[in-house]
Parts: sequence; C-alpha cells; structure tokens
Amino acid sequence: MSDLLCEINISDIDLTNEQYKISLSRANIPFLARSIKEAGLICPPIVKPLNNKYIIVCGFNRIKALLQNDRIKIPVYKTKPGITDYQCLLTSITRLAFKRPLTHAELVISTKRLSRFVDKEEIAEKSSAIFNTELNTRFITDLLAIGALPDPALELLHCGNLSFKSARRIAFFEKETIHIFLNIFSQIKASNNKQLEIIQNIMEIAARDGIKPRDLFNNQEIQKILFDKNKEPGLKTRDLRAYLFKQRFPTIFKTNQMVREKIASIKLGNKIKFIPPENFEDQNYSISFTAKNYNEFKANTHLLTAALENKAIEEIFSQ
Amino acid sequence: MKIDTLFIDNAIPCDAETEFLISSLKTDPQRINDARTVYDFINDSDDPVLKAKKTLYITQNKGSVIKKCPGTCYYTCCDYTILHAGTFCTMDCSYCILQAYFHPPVLQYFAGLETLERHLDNTFRQNKIFRIGTGEYTDSLIWEKVSLVPKFLVETFAKQNNCLLELKTKTVNIDSLLSLDHNGKTVIAWSLNTPDIICSEERKTASLKARLEAARLAESKGYQLAFHFDPMVIYPGCEIHYKKVIKQIFDYVRPESIVWISIGTFRFMPKLKQIIEKRFKHSTICYGEFILGLDNKMRYFKPLRIKLYKQIISCIKEYAPRLLVYFCMEDEEVWEKCMGFFPKKEGELGHLLDKSAVAHCNLNSTLL
Repeated sequence: MSDLLCEINISDIDLTNEQYKISLSRANIPFLARSIKEAGLICPPIVKPLNNKYIIVCGFNRIKALLQNDRIKIPVYKTKPGITDYQCLLTSITRLAFKRPLTHAELVISTKRLSRFVDKEEIAEKSSAIFNTELNTRFITDLLAIGALPDPALELLHCGNLSFKSARRIAFFEKETIHIFLNIFSQIKASNNKQLEIIQNIMEIAARDGIKPRDLFNNQEIQKILFDKNKEPGLKTRDLRAYLFKQRFPTIFKTNQMVREKIASIKLGNKIKFIPPENFEDQNYSISFTAKNYNEFKANTHLLTAALENKAIEEIFSQ
Repeated sequence: MKIDTLFIDNAIPCDAETEFLISSLKTDPQRINDARTVYDFINDSDDPVLKAKKTLYITQNKGSVIKKCPGTCYYTCCDYTILHAGTFCTMDCSYCILQAYFHPPVLQYFAGLETLERHLDNTFRQNKIFRIGTGEYTDSLIWEKVSLVPKFLVETFAKQNNCLLELKTKTVNIDSLLSLDHNGKTVIAWSLNTPDIICSEERKTASLKARLEAARLAESKGYQLAFHFDPMVIYPGCEIHYKKVIKQIFDYVRPESIVWISIGTFRFMPKLKQIIEKRFKHSTICYGEFILGLDNKMRYFKPLRIKLYKQIISCIKEYAPRLLVYFCMEDEEVWEKCMGFFPKKEGELGHLLDKSAVAHCNLNSTLL
C-alpha cells in the first residue's frame, strides 16, 4: 500500500467514527502507551481523510495510547485520495488477520461489513487473502446469520458467554426467542455443551407443552435462578440446568431422586459406592469399596451385611 | 404410487415384469448406467427424503435377497427373515428409520422375479420353519398396484409348507390379492397406531378405520392377519387411545385370524432426530423422555415403557387370551415384568412365533 507517511494533529482525528474497527479485544492501553514511550511507535496507524478530519482505518488502540501520552502530533499513514470504503475495510481486516487469527466475534463483524460490498461466495473465494485462512460459504452464511443477531449477541460471543455453536443455533429462532436466550446467556456462564443443552431443553419443553419459550422463561423458578443477585453465574448455570432437566425429564428425575434417597437411607458410609445402572436401562447395579487393611474390609462387609436388613435395598431392586 | 422421475438400470431387461411396472406408473423411464445418477439427482434436492419418495429406481438386487433380520445383542430379536424386494417408501412417517438408514434414501424396486423364485426355492427346500417378510426396508404393499411381486409372492408361497409370508403395510392395497389362491400361507399385517399419531406422524398412510376395514376384507378371503403396534408413542392419554385401537381390532376381526401382535415403543437412531425436526416441524415425537439405549438408539425410559406395555398386553388378553403377543427388541426385565416370562434361550422367541405360524398357516409341524 503506497499510503503517505505524514504527521497530523491528533485533535484532527474523529475518534467517534469506528466504521473500520474490527477488534473487540480490550488492549491494555497504559501498557501500550508506556511501550510507545520506551520503544517508539513501531507501526503508525492508518487514517483516511474525511470532511476535513481523519477517521481511523487501523490503529485504534495505538491512537488511544498516543492520546494518553499527551501527544499533539503523531505519525500516520494517510490513505490515497479516492480510496473506497471497501478497500479501507479490507486494509483494516487484513492488517489484523495477518497479525493474529481473528476471533469468532471479529469474523462476524468483518463478514457482516464485507457483505455490504461483496456476496458470500466472493468472500469465501477471497477468504485466504482477507482472513489468512480459508472459509467456506456455509461458514460465512453462519457468520452472517450470527451477525444479524441483536445486541448483546456479539458482546456475549466475544466474552465467551455465548459460544459460536449456540449463537448459530439461536440465530434461526424467532426474534422474541432470540432475545430470551441472549437474556439467559447474559446472566449465566456455561461451557458450549451446557449452553446447547440449555437451548435444547428449553426449546423441547416449549414444543412438547405447546407453549412459547417466553412462557417458560417467565416462569417464576427460572426468573428466581437467573436474577438472583447473590448467585454466581456458574451457580445459576447449575441451578438452571437442574431445573430444566426436571421439567424435560420428569420421570427420569423422580426415579433418580427416589433411588438416590433410598441409597442414602441405607447408610453405607463414604467408602462404599452403590451406583444404579445408567438411565436404569441395564439391570446391573454396581457396589464397590476399597480397603486399606483388614479392619476396613471388615467394617465395609459389616455395613453391607447390615444393609440386607434394610427394606430400602429390597425396594431398589424390586422397583 | 405417484412417481415423478423414473430411472431404470440399463442392465435390467425389458420383460413382462418391468413393462407392467413402467406402464402402471405412467412415467417415462430414463435408462442409466450408473446408480450415482440417481444418488446425485436425489442429493441435489433441498429435501432429499421427499425427493426420494417421488423418484423410483428400477434395478437389480446386488446384495442378499433373503437374509436374517440383523437384531441387536442386548434386546431380544424375533429371528425374522427378510426378503429384500425393494427399499424405501412413498408414504411419509415422521419416525421412519429409513429416512436416516439409507445414504441417500432411494426408492428402489428390485426387478427379477426369477431371482426371487430361485432364492425362495432354496428356502422352501430347507427343513426349517421360516417367517419371511418384505416389510423391513419398505412397505410391503405400496407396490401392490404397480408391481407383480406381491401377487407372485402370495402364489409362490401358496405352493409350499415351511414358510410363512408376512406382508406388512400401512396401506389398504390388497385388491389384487383378494382373489388369489394363497393357501393360507400369507399373513397380511397392518402396522397400527392411534388416530392421533396416524394423523400427526403418518403422512399419506391409510386411516385406522381403513386399515381395519381392509383387514376385515382380507380375513373374509381367508387370509391370516397380524398387527404391529410399533412404534407406540407415549403421550398424555396414549394408554386410553391404544386401548381403543385394540378394542377396534376385535370389533373388526376374529382373534382366531390373528397370528400374532407385536408391540414396541418408539426408538430411533440419534441422527433421526434432526431429520424429524427439519422435515416435520410440528412433530413432538422426539420430545418424550428418551435415554440412550444399550444398542445406541434412543429409547423411552424403561419404567415408562413397562407401564404402557403392561396396560396394552392386559387389554389385548382381555379380548384374546390365547393370542400370541410379543415384543420387538425388548430386554429380559421388560419381558419378565410385562409378560411374566422371558424367552431367554437363543431362538426361543422365534420358536414361539414359528409355533403360531404353523398353527395358523398349516405349515409342516414336524419342522418345529
């Protein structure tokens, strides 16, 4: 790029215009400012003249750092006259993409903006040159679908509260349902699999019961879990999943609970493990214990022998 | 049968069998050399399953013509024998495993009556009872109006006495079979469900009433009958609905005409769920309380299966105490708790069914 290296007044830059900002990462500006003081500005930002001012094409964090250093004049690359928006956008994306892999959120922003100029097939075709990696049309379709999600989807995606797969899943729901999931994921912190499980259970309960996901979301129990100010997001996730499982699989939940209670009532102690068959499909219960010495072995066998007199154990096997 | 596109394998001769099929379908056939032409044609569609239901490929069976039902190791199988005469189906049931079983699904008609005859002759010569069905990979009677196979099979089975032919269907296509001399060796079997499930999940199938009327007509022509409650779907009030269906069966036909009734609750390969959700947007059939079974299929939680089975079996027994009822793919616990016994030994369930086949179809009892 044969942009012109020159010095401009920092006050001539319109800092509010972020039309070419791709990165969502919050760089440590004081660190960067100090680095510039110590080592100098290694790579000047790129700006574009617009209405007697300049707008930033790339180097948003560097300009913030320079501002923090109270610089009045700064070196910049000024774009050629007549450069198009598309070319500026390409510059912005490629600069970042060839420095480090873009995050999902950055890919979403980039493709969404690129789609104003070129279609998804062309984005796919040029992807290696733009993103430093090959993206297929299907993936770009997903990125665009996620890009169409309302706020705070991108922010949630960026901070990991909403996984890429979950975002793709909810992107095809009704508007109202999308808002409900964005609301839920703003309140909790869950891994990708747990997010997908929550989405699936809510959608399936709603479909099964012939209600809207909104009705389920407005349920008092769920509201209590999600908006409890004293509860950590991780605990909210645990409680929400437990509640949804109970609603989605009521018989399995009750059976599990009943068997767990019966096992607890036998009082086998901590050393003996009594595990029911998975999902009760198999018939084999597993009972095991470890013993460091004869006395422990004896104590465990005594507990098991005593359990024979307990009605609960018979009930477990004859249920 | 409504076919939009008809492909025919170039290796298939133009004989009476294919002529009959082509003229019945009233669709110009496209001769092709490679099955991939059909696969590509189907796969290019937005809904390959639906496309496959309107596309017929007349070809030859390049695999086994007669084979044992695969079953699985943990759940008890009935030792059925499959006559592989075609694949896929023109009806459209949400739960149909064939949507996910074939890649891609292809409605195939395996031409070659002489091939069928040769393989059947081998089977007829064995000193063993066989229960043979064509309804595993297709509906046995969707072909009745366009193919000579159902008539050929009924007449071929009529001439021997160690094999029972079971034609399993959700249609009422029995017209061409009524006047045949079946010699009692053919069982016409209907897959039944509640009117709610037929209406919501079984597109393009005959109504319950129509199926039972057809059963009554078949019975009047001396055919033996069978019924299959598979898949039974658990939903609020389903027990009452299934019991009503059972009552209706005995309103229409005599218990003595029924060789067996099988029951099995809905189970599915996990990948079928996505297909159902995509193709049957209003279906809630996958949203029951399913767990991953020991055969890696999703199954209803066992206590729920047992609860439903117990009621259904006791209802059937009220009307027909001696009628053979069996489970399709269930385990020892379910058998014991619902039937009070378990056919534990290998082939024991098959033997029970063979006995009923011999008694109803006048097969050679010395082969038991």
